Amino acid sequence: MAERTLHAPAAAPVPAGDGGWISAARPRAGMPRGPRRPGWTRPALGITLLVLLVSYALLTPWLAGLDERLTDHGRALLAPGAGGWFGTDSAGRDLFVRTAAGLRVSLLVAAVCAVVSTVIGTLVGAFSGIAGGWVDQLVMRLIDTVNSVPHLLLGIVIVALYGGGLTAVIVAIALTHWSSVARIVRAEVLSLRDREFIDAAVAGGASRWRVTRRHLLPAVVPQAALATVLMLPHAVWHETALSFLGLGLPPHTASLGILLDEAREAVMLGAWWPLVFPSAALVVATLAVATCGAALRDRLVPRRRTELSL
Amino acid sequence: MNAALELRDLSVRFHTGGHRRAVVQAAIDVSLRLHPGRILALVGESGCGKSVLTSAILGLLPANAEVRGEVLLGGADDTAPLELLRCPEQVLAGRVRGRRVALVPQSATTHLTPVRTVRDQLAETVAMLARPAGTRRTRPGRAERAALRERCDALAVRAGLDPAHLDRYPHELSGGMAQRAALTFALAADAPVLLADEPTAGLDRPLVRQTLGALRELADQGRAVLLITHDIAAAEEVADDLAVMYAARLVETGPAARVLADPWHDYTRGLLGALPRNGLVPIPGQPPELSALPAGCAFHTRVPGECDGAGALRAYGDRAVACRPAPVPAGVAEKEDVSC
Repeated sequence: MAERTLHAPAAAPVPAGDGGWISAARPRAGMPRGPRRPGWTRPALGITLLVLLVSYALLTPWLAGLDERLTDHGRALLAPGAGGWFGTDSAGRDLFVRTAAGLRVSLLVAAVCAVVSTVIGTLVGAFSGIAGGWVDQLVMRLIDTVNSVPHLLLGIVIVALYGGGLTAVIVAIALTHWSSVARIVRAEVLSLRDREFIDAAVAGGASRWRVTRRHLLPAVVPQAALATVLMLPHAVWHETALSFLGLGLPPHTASLGILLDEAREAVMLGAWWPLVFPSAALVVATLAVATCGAALRDRLVPRRRTELSL
Repeated sequence: MNAALELRDLSVRFHTGGHRRAVVQAAIDVSLRLHPGRILALVGESGCGKSVLTSAILGLLPANAEVRGEVLLGGADDTAPLELLRCPEQVLAGRVRGRRVALVPQSATTHLTPVRTVRDQLAETVAMLARPAGTRRTRPGRAERAALRERCDALAVRAGLDPAHLDRYPHELSGGMAQRAALTFALAADAPVLLADEPTAGLDRPLVRQTLGALRELADQGRAVLLITHDIAAAEEVADDLAVMYAARLVETGPAARVLADPWHDYTRGLLGALPRNGLVPIPGQPPELSALPAGCAFHTRVPGECDGAGALRAYGDRAVACRPAPVPAGVAEKEDVSC
């Protein structure tokens, strides 16, 4: 029987690089993959994808000179090629233009929602964490209450109250999503406020307001910024869900949710393209934003930036 | 000579919560005097209550702490001393911390905000301390920013730090660089009193010497320096006066050279005996927990020895010792005043 060793097998020798220098990077314990390579490949991919998507969403309806709401039932459900690059939908509308218009609306809703919910969440979370005591407990119970109701359900109620439309969708998503940002920021504030650099700032003569503004909040920014970026795809998905349920934007307005809702019938008729292209736009937008979010986190935290030699 | 800072019978205790309610006696009747131009080293084992004194002086104790006694910050010749323990927070923040009493921290790297460069933080501190307390900050013009930059560079040079290193983030500094960076903050307002809390912890000997040299230089410029350390060899290098603390109490005080050459208290002798040059003989046993101090003399409960059971210091000339009458030279009478 082969003798079992208690030690990990020796790592393969690292090839010598220029001037005899070899990489000191080693896989970390519990990490199945090798060390993450520093570089711009992934961030560049994410940023490129995002720029292409935004350009596509903003420029296509303008360059094509077509109204995405224009119907032509004589061209209904034409496949890609005969009906343009993405084909046409059941009302004969050009899906290349309509997907771009839908993406534009969805990204706009997502960006506004992400910013609004992050601002509200950061203010509430920072206030709660800094105040502490019963104020913190009260705010946390409020957040628990908001979180105890399914966000989609709460969104449906808000949209129903406002009677639909772009503003209603934005309000519905922003008002249901600030709580997660608030939790993140509060947790960060709680972990930071007892750190030595906060005590040192106080010992150096800084007031409570200055300590909060100049030492505590800058240290919270990386987490809040990451939360904002990750909120973007989440908000797109929520807007899509509300519109898919017929509670979001008016049917004639193009949004990814409405396009997917309309695609259901087309799929039953054997047309795959009304479903695939808007879905692909949604997935690619999500991946691009997530990649950019990871890169942003790496660059906002100075220690991590140094470790990755960025 | 007027003291720049005086601690009179300062006691600090903490009430711990939870199911194990207890009272931690962190400092008991500590009396010390810091004089301009002199370094007072406060030595003792880790956990004896040394560092809590800096928090008490600066009003940075947590909410579960209680204090007793007086901390007098010497005013100018025509003004009365400021009693810090009873000072409102606005006075401490606006007039004392950083401006009249500066802190050189133990772990300089962790005492700087990690997401901002050292220069950014130093410039902010310099600008803040240059303004009269309570005045609003105005956006500095180009000339003011340039002057601020020059002032930061000058502070770095005074602290022995290359000004280029100010543009780094805290984690990009070595231990020695970070310590010198921390010193620049303490110098920002030319505070007359410096509290150096374990400034040499974790540094190698050359860096220890460099840091101590910087403190000596600051003292020679007229500042009163309190050097808190568990490294008695470091104290030996720079201290003018020495106070030895054990289990929340001072057990011996006096001029550093004389205390170290002829220690009166068994604990001081034990600390010196644990130095490498004296054979690395450890003090037997463990220090008591500050939440369960013995009724009598804490040290002689740990190590048997001659002790009269009185914990308070008794002064003989410019020296003071606890536990037993000192081997008093002829002609030196016992005094009432026991401050170092």
